Amino acid sequence: MENNTSDQRTERILASLDGLQRSAAPDFFYTRLTGRMQREERPGKEKFILLKPVFITAALSLVLIVNIFSLMKLGGQPGKKENRQANKPATIESFAEAYGINNTASVYE
Amino acid sequence: MTEEELLLGLRNGEEPAFKELVILFQDKVFNTALSLLQHHTEAEDIAQEVFIQVYRSIGQFKGDSLLSTWIYRITVTKSLDHLRSKKRKKRLGFLSSLFGADNQPVYEPEDFNHPGVQNERKEDAALLFKMISQLPDNQRTAFILNKVEELSYREIAGILNSSESAVDSLLQRAKQNLRKKLKDLPP
Repeated sequence: MENNTSDQRTERILASLDGLQRSAAPDFFYTRLTGRMQREERPGKEKFILLKPVFITAALSLVLIVNIFSLMKLGGQPGKKENRQANKPATIESFAEAYGINNTASVYE
Repeated sequence: MTEEELLLGLRNGEEPAFKELVILFQDKVFNTALSLLQHHTEAEDIAQEVFIQVYRSIGQFKGDSLLSTWIYRITVTKSLDHLRSKKRKKRLGFLSSLFGADNQPVYEPEDFNHPGVQNERKEDAALLFKMISQLPDNQRTAFILNKVEELSYREIAGILNSSESAVDSLLQRAKQNLRKKLKDLPP
């Protein structure tokens, strides 16, 4: 019984477009159309393509992705190295190594 | 004016021929665009674009099909392109709302009431149009051309560049999908 009512409702809705009248174009359609054609024929100021919202959003997304990628890729490594160096006591060898002085004896000679 | 005379006038860029073409087809173009887009202002905009394209590319019309078939084809293509672009903008709007303070949806579809529907059927027709908008593009187009524009299978096949049996199959699937969607609705 319930199915029958549901089927009837479905068929009634499906038939709701039967006998539909064609919708007429708005008044003064031709006048507005020719007006638009004349406006488009005139050499107007073209909006700079890079200023379109879609390009702006794409560029910002790209910058954001590059930033996140850079942070993930490079962010952790120097920190670890610095920590290692900070934990290591400074020696004359490490100082010489940092400044590229291999032969410490030559300094005193 | 016969179709040949009309075409000749259009190819020569004569304004009276263009005016006659617009008067002859404006309701068909507007009604098709309106049923596909379900929005009056957008339908008028697309209808204007259709006639501008007809005016600019009439030289490319070889006469392999009827002029009406060609114009309907442009109307359907432009309307579906517009719907796709609107969907893209909606997605983009959702993305930008994630970064902004405004979390309101960019576009809220409202019930569409076709002006040609009989008063006592308006509520049912609004519901049906809502379900039609959820159909795949080809099924939606075939259904609207058949039910709203009352075109024959042959004419629809010409517009969609397919066979009459393919149109029949599209319409069967469209009706099947609509029945399923309507049955799933709460009473």
